[in-house]
Amino acid sequence: MGVDFPTPKSLATYIQEEELPRRLALESALPVSDILRYGGMVGSEIHAYTSLPRCMDQARELIKQHSKQQQSLPSGTMLFAESLSGSKGRFQRVWHAPDGGLWCVLTVFNQWSKRVASLLPLVTGVAVCETVLANGVAARIKWVNDIHCAGLKLAGLLAETHVCRLSGEEYVLLGIGLNVNNRHFPSELQKTATSMTRQTDSGFDLATLALDLLAKLTWNIGLLTWLDEQDKPLAIFMDRYRSHCDSVGRRVRFGFDVQEAPQYEALVTGILDDGGLVLHHLQDDVEIVEHGGEMEYLPV
Amino acid sequence: MSQQDTINYDAVLSKFREDPFAYVDINAMHTGHIRFHVREGDKVEGLTGDFRHIKGTLLCELTRERNQKPIHCTTNGEVSFVNKVLDGQFVQAGEKIMTIRHPLKKREIIEQILRDVLVPFAAPEKAKYYFAMDIQNRIEKFGQRSVSVKAGDEVFTMSLMKRDTPVYYTGEAGIIHSVYFKPGQSMELGEPLVGVCPPEKVAVVEKIITRVKAEWE
Repeated sequence: MGVDFPTPKSLATYIQEEELPRRLALESALPVSDILRYGGMVGSEIHAYTSLPRCMDQARELIKQHSKQQQSLPSGTMLFAESLSGSKGRFQRVWHAPDGGLWCVLTVFNQWSKRVASLLPLVTGVAVCETVLANGVAARIKWVNDIHCAGLKLAGLLAETHVCRLSGEEYVLLGIGLNVNNRHFPSELQKTATSMTRQTDSGFDLATLALDLLAKLTWNIGLLTWLDEQDKPLAIFMDRYRSHCDSVGRRVRFGFDVQEAPQYEALVTGILDDGGLVLHHLQDDVEIVEHGGEMEYLPV
Repeated sequence: MSQQDTINYDAVLSKFREDPFAYVDINAMHTGHIRFHVREGDKVEGLTGDFRHIKGTLLCELTRERNQKPIHCTTNGEVSFVNKVLDGQFVQAGEKIMTIRHPLKKREIIEQILRDVLVPFAAPEKAKYYFAMDIQNRIEKFGQRSVSVKAGDEVFTMSLMKRDTPVYYTGEAGIIHSVYFKPGQSMELGEPLVGVCPPEKVAVVEKIITRVKAEWE
C-alpha cells in the first residue's frame, strides 16, 4: 500500500484541529460544532485497497457480506482504492483511474427526507469543490455535480441508491473520482479531462487530500442533516452550492444523456432551492425546470 | 368465466362512439385564492414539444401567502365545466375547479379499454426513468412484448438529480405490453410507466386492439 489513507481516529483529530476552527471562522451564523456532529458518521469505517475493479461494486459487496452475517455496514463507511481497473462513469462512459488519483465511495444509509435526499449529489459536489479549492486549484461546479477547471473535467461523481436484497436496507453510494497527481489520460479523454497536478504543476499528498475530503463531506452532509432535522430552509445549503456553481448565465446543450442524445439548447437562468435547474429554451422561447439530466457548456 | 367472455365489445365500442371524449377533472393542488383564466367553451392546449416541455394553456392561478401557483392544462380539448362561484374565492386542496373535455384518438380509445385489462405500474416519484439494463437488453433483442416481468424484478432506473435508483416491479406477473414513457422524459408521481399484461389476458388484449383498429375511423 503506497498511500497512507486516513483512519477514523486521524479523521476525528483532523476535524477537531483543522476543520472546526476553519468553519468557526467562516460560518459564524451556524452552529458549527452541532453540524459537524450531525455529519459525524462520515468515515465511521475506512477501508483502503491497493486496487479494485470498481469502488461502487466493492461497497455493494461489503453491504451484502454484512447482511449475510445479520449486520449492517455502518453508515458513513468510506472505501478508498489507489487504482481502479474497471472504472466507468454514468451510461458506461470511460473513466480512467490509475495510481495518483483519489478514487473512493462513501456509503450512507438513506436517513433523510425526500426533499433533502435529492440534494445528496449536490452535497458531494460542494465537498469535492471545497477540497480542490482549499488546495489551490480554481474548480467550479457544473450542475448537477461535475467538477471542472477551465472547462476541463477534474472530478466525476456518481450517486446510486442500493437496496440490499437480503436486509432491505437502503443505502446511497456516493462515488468520487478526483484526478490529482495523474497526468496522463487515454486519447479519448485528452481534450476533456485534467488533473490538479496538470493545473498547478505541483504534486499533492493524497493522504492529506483524502483527510480534507472526508472533513468537507462531514461538514456538508452534517449541514444537510441539520437542515433536515431542524426543518430549516434548503437555501442555507443551496446558497453555498450556487456560490461554487458557474452554470447560471451559460448557454448549454441539455439532454438526459447529452453525449448520445442531446435534446435542446438553452440558457441557464437559475438554480432553485430544491436543486432544479431553470433553463430558457432558446428555440421554443419557454422556461423549463429540470431535476435530472446533464448539460454541456456551449462556447460563448 | 374468462376475461374474454366478460368484455362486451359492442357495448364498449358503442359507448365510445356515442361519447368519444375523456373528461379530465382539474382539482386545486393546495389551498388558496383562485382566479380563472378560461371560460366554458374555450379551446385549450396540453403539454407540447418533443419532451413535453412547453406548458399548456394557463387555466387558473392559485395564490397562497402571496405565492402564485399557475395551473396549466395537461391535455388538449375544450373547457366543459368551470366552477364559476369559486372565482376569487378561497378553495380547499383537492376541490374540483373545472373539467376539460378531451377528444379521444383511436390509440387513446385502445388505451382506455386496455386500462381495465392491463396492470399499470406507476412512477413512484416525479423523476426521469429508463429501463434497467437487463430489461433494455431483452427489449432490444426480443421486442417489448416478449419481455416478462414479475414482482421483485428490477425494471426501471429512476434518475433524480443525477442519482440513479433501481425501481422494482410490484404488480402481477406478465409481459410489458404498453410503454407510456420515453427514456429521459420527466414523469409525474403516479403517472403510469408501463402496462403489464398477465399471460392469460394476452389474447383478449390482441382482440381489443384488432377490433378497435378495424372498426374505428
